[in-house]
Amino acid sequence: MKLELDGVSKRYGTATALEDVSLSVKDGEFFTLVGPSGCGKTTTLRCIAGFESPTEGAVRFDGDSMVGVPPEERGVGVVFQNYALFPHMSVGENVAYGLRFVDPPGGVSKDARVSELLDLVDLSGFEDRDPDSLSGGQQQRVALARALAPGPDLLLLDEPMSALDARLRERLRRQVKRIQSELGVTTVYVTHDQSEALAVSDRVAVLNRGRVEQVGVPRDVYRRPRTRFVAEFVGENNVFDGVVKRGLTDRQASLVEVESRPETEGVGAAVERAEASEATGAVEAAEAAETAEAAEAAETAEATETPRTETDSHQFVLGGIDADAGDSLTFCVRPEHLHVDAEANQIRGTVVDSEFQGSTTRVRLDWRGRELTVSVPDSEDESFELGDDVVVGFDPEATHVVE
Amino acid sequence: MVRTASRRVARLLEQRLLSVVAAATAVILVVLFYYPVATVFADAVLADGRLTLEPITAILTSEFYLVDIIWFTAKQAFYSTLASLALGLPAAWLFARFEFHGRETLRSLTILPFVMPSIMVAVGFVATFGRNGTLNRALSLFGLPTVELLFTLEAIIIAHAFYNAPLVARIVTAAWESVDARAVETARSLGANPFRAFRDVVLPQLLPSIGVGATLTFIFTFASFPIVLALGGFQLATIEVFVFAKVRDLAYAEAASLAVIETVISLTLTAVYLRYEATQRAAGGTANPLPRRSVVPDTWTTKSALQTVGIAGYSVVVVLVFVVPIASMLLASVTGGDGSLTLTHYAFLAERQVTGASFQVKPLPAIWNSLVFAVGTLLVAVPMGVTMAVLTTRQYRGRTLIDALAMAPFAVSGIVVGLGLLRGLVFGVDVFGTRIRVTGALAIVAAHAVGAYPFVTRNVAPLFSRLDGRLVESARSLGATRTRALLDIELPLVWTGVVAGAAFAVAISIGEFDSTIILAEGSGSFTMPVAVERLLGRRLGPATAMGCVLLVVTSLSFLVVDRFGGRWGEL
Repeated sequence: MKLELDGVSKRYGTATALEDVSLSVKDGEFFTLVGPSGCGKTTTLRCIAGFESPTEGAVRFDGDSMVGVPPEERGVGVVFQNYALFPHMSVGENVAYGLRFVDPPGGVSKDARVSELLDLVDLSGFEDRDPDSLSGGQQQRVALARALAPGPDLLLLDEPMSALDARLRERLRRQVKRIQSELGVTTVYVTHDQSEALAVSDRVAVLNRGRVEQVGVPRDVYRRPRTRFVAEFVGENNVFDGVVKRGLTDRQASLVEVESRPETEGVGAAVERAEASEATGAVEAAEAAETAEAAEAAETAEATETPRTETDSHQFVLGGIDADAGDSLTFCVRPEHLHVDAEANQIRGTVVDSEFQGSTTRVRLDWRGRELTVSVPDSEDESFELGDDVVVGFDPEATHVVE
Repeated sequence: MVRTASRRVARLLEQRLLSVVAAATAVILVVLFYYPVATVFADAVLADGRLTLEPITAILTSEFYLVDIIWFTAKQAFYSTLASLALGLPAAWLFARFEFHGRETLRSLTILPFVMPSIMVAVGFVATFGRNGTLNRALSLFGLPTVELLFTLEAIIIAHAFYNAPLVARIVTAAWESVDARAVETARSLGANPFRAFRDVVLPQLLPSIGVGATLTFIFTFASFPIVLALGGFQLATIEVFVFAKVRDLAYAEAASLAVIETVISLTLTAVYLRYEATQRAAGGTANPLPRRSVVPDTWTTKSALQTVGIAGYSVVVVLVFVVPIASMLLASVTGGDGSLTLTHYAFLAERQVTGASFQVKPLPAIWNSLVFAVGTLLVAVPMGVTMAVLTTRQYRGRTLIDALAMAPFAVSGIVVGLGLLRGLVFGVDVFGTRIRVTGALAIVAAHAVGAYPFVTRNVAPLFSRLDGRLVESARSLGATRTRALLDIELPLVWTGVVAGAAFAVAISIGEFDSTIILAEGSGSFTMPVAVERLLGRRLGPATAMGCVLLVVTSLSFLVVDRFGGRWGEL
């Protein structure tokens, strides 16, 4: 089934939960809504399911408007984070509940349909068990079987893994993905976990403050974030604001000057923003990158110590951008693209923090009072000791400009 | 998905059913509660179709009404509140901080007075404090002079404490048990001695609950009727008793004016209480409650000995106030005039049934009427209460208003509702040229249902609000209509609350006295409590026998409430 959201807005009094959200989900697609808490992803899902009605705009199933259609008439399967199994019914009765209202698809008997679905989620023979006697992962699989039993045209998953531990979550999400592609049911998946979104989705939509920031296949969204928010939310990033000084060699590369702001104002703004993002529950990555971005203290390309003044600036060479001298722009560099041995765009910073993560080590550098994140492969990480002054740089082509 | 036309219609009905029941509830409330109360207000301010404040100003400028009635009503309510706190707070301390045999049982028994018919309790107190009551017999046994406690303020206050001290105990115990022991331990580790830790950490957490208990007690005792009627006579009359007296004299305008003044005071108190309660709702339970001690200390020190003596003394008071009146009633019902054991009082009731004149109170119709009214109340109050619970646990605009309107019957006395029903529907109302009249029996069921359904709501609503909203949403996305989701998912999960609420409704209907006595006046629709009151005016023995029958019926209700109910701390 093809799902469309056309200019959907949702307001509660004066508060806006969704603002002009338009999305199109293809038949059989695994589509993910991702964003920090409060971004509107769950509200979007509830509008699709019919638990909320949009203040403006329309939800369409295969072109039919769903305005005024109650949830029970929509033929949508929903799985919630907390499973919401009916505690007074056995596992089998839970799965069979939806079959009270429609005949089982494929002309089979209800019992046959229930055992078919329990097979599908690897819970054969659990019919008579009490939901309370199951583990969290098992309960979630029962919830999935229950949602799928009536043969819905659309499956909605609202943070279905969040209550489970990391290892189980990974296993279950592979299982969900497998079942989804086997059945070919159009699926909308809601999560705040961007790595989960990248791992399972055919396409993702990144939501922020009730608006869609970007829609695309995971690789594109990671490599070419459209906005600063996406750059910082999806994966970690170091974001810089600058002004184009001049184009070099027929715009193959441009020289961008990153101006520093007065130190006091910068710190104040950074702290304020860090607090704001904490309040809205934004993820760590966003916070760290904000700080880094605010940390544009001046230093020259040769990394010589020059006295800090309000006009201090730092010049970077960026490849392949389309901009004229004098244009303001924002660009980002992924932590994995900052290298010790890079010859271009060198920055000298002090190691303030280092987290060993197995195949890589995440190092935070203090660059003139602000932090930059560097992802260091295991083989190189001896060169980063706390308090060391190190020089890192990045390839002019490894940058990406955002709006 | 192909559906037949009939299935479609059925579904449409199902989708609307909840709204239909909600609308019906609203209509019932308007007809059975708001309209009658409005009738009383109209009686008070209309004379010959013209607006007048004369009856109300007459009362408010009369020294007799202001001092002897209104001031007395407030005074006895204040003293009753103090007595209830004095009797209830030690119980809360015992329940929360001590471990002893039968603690849980005693604690669940504190709900019992709530379902006990007040007229029966009044009979118990007459049997205890009357001239030939248990107290005077005990005194004369020891050669002491007898005392006359009946028709005194003291008797009224003790009877009110009987009702409200358990309420105070319940509410404060719940708050005490939700005090986190770690907070006290932290205070101690910071240098506070046990007394300071109690004063600085525990007491501030108890005060709101003490305030809630005291306010409720004041509201209840301010509107107390049967207790004051039976134990105070007309010498000591509260507003309620005087309204009743005026209704008996057919002085409806005066009765209505008094009723209006009382209702305004009660509603104001209740509004204050609801505001207060909303801000003070206890967090409910903690993983680390304060530890319980044994009532018999491990080591005997002066302090622990004093404590034990205190507890023992308190137990004696509890037995005197709670056990003796009920026991006295049981005893009086089987004691003859000469002090010997006899069943003549029960025989009198049976004989009256056979030979009594039509104007006399016969026991069987009273029992039968009580049961019929209880069933009628059940049928009306339970759907109303459950619907209200569904509505009040949902968020929507104007919810506070709906909450307040729906809970208003809590605050308006049965006398007022009864009077309004009598003056309105029973005497007859013209609707579009047709005279509509209801019988006394129907009006009684209406009054009982209005009084009982808030208890159903209060039993069911907490369970509803604890249900995960996702359960209903899951059911709906699987194809269930809102009504089906209610029947398939929600009701099976809250049915214990529904049963407890139903038992409450039955107990309240059977024990209801205030509106029943007004509506039963001059009709054959008297109930057991009304029969008790009529017998009480003449002979104590048969009244106590009838009271014992009432006790049995309401105790059964209590057993059901206790088995299925859970959250009485909130009541």
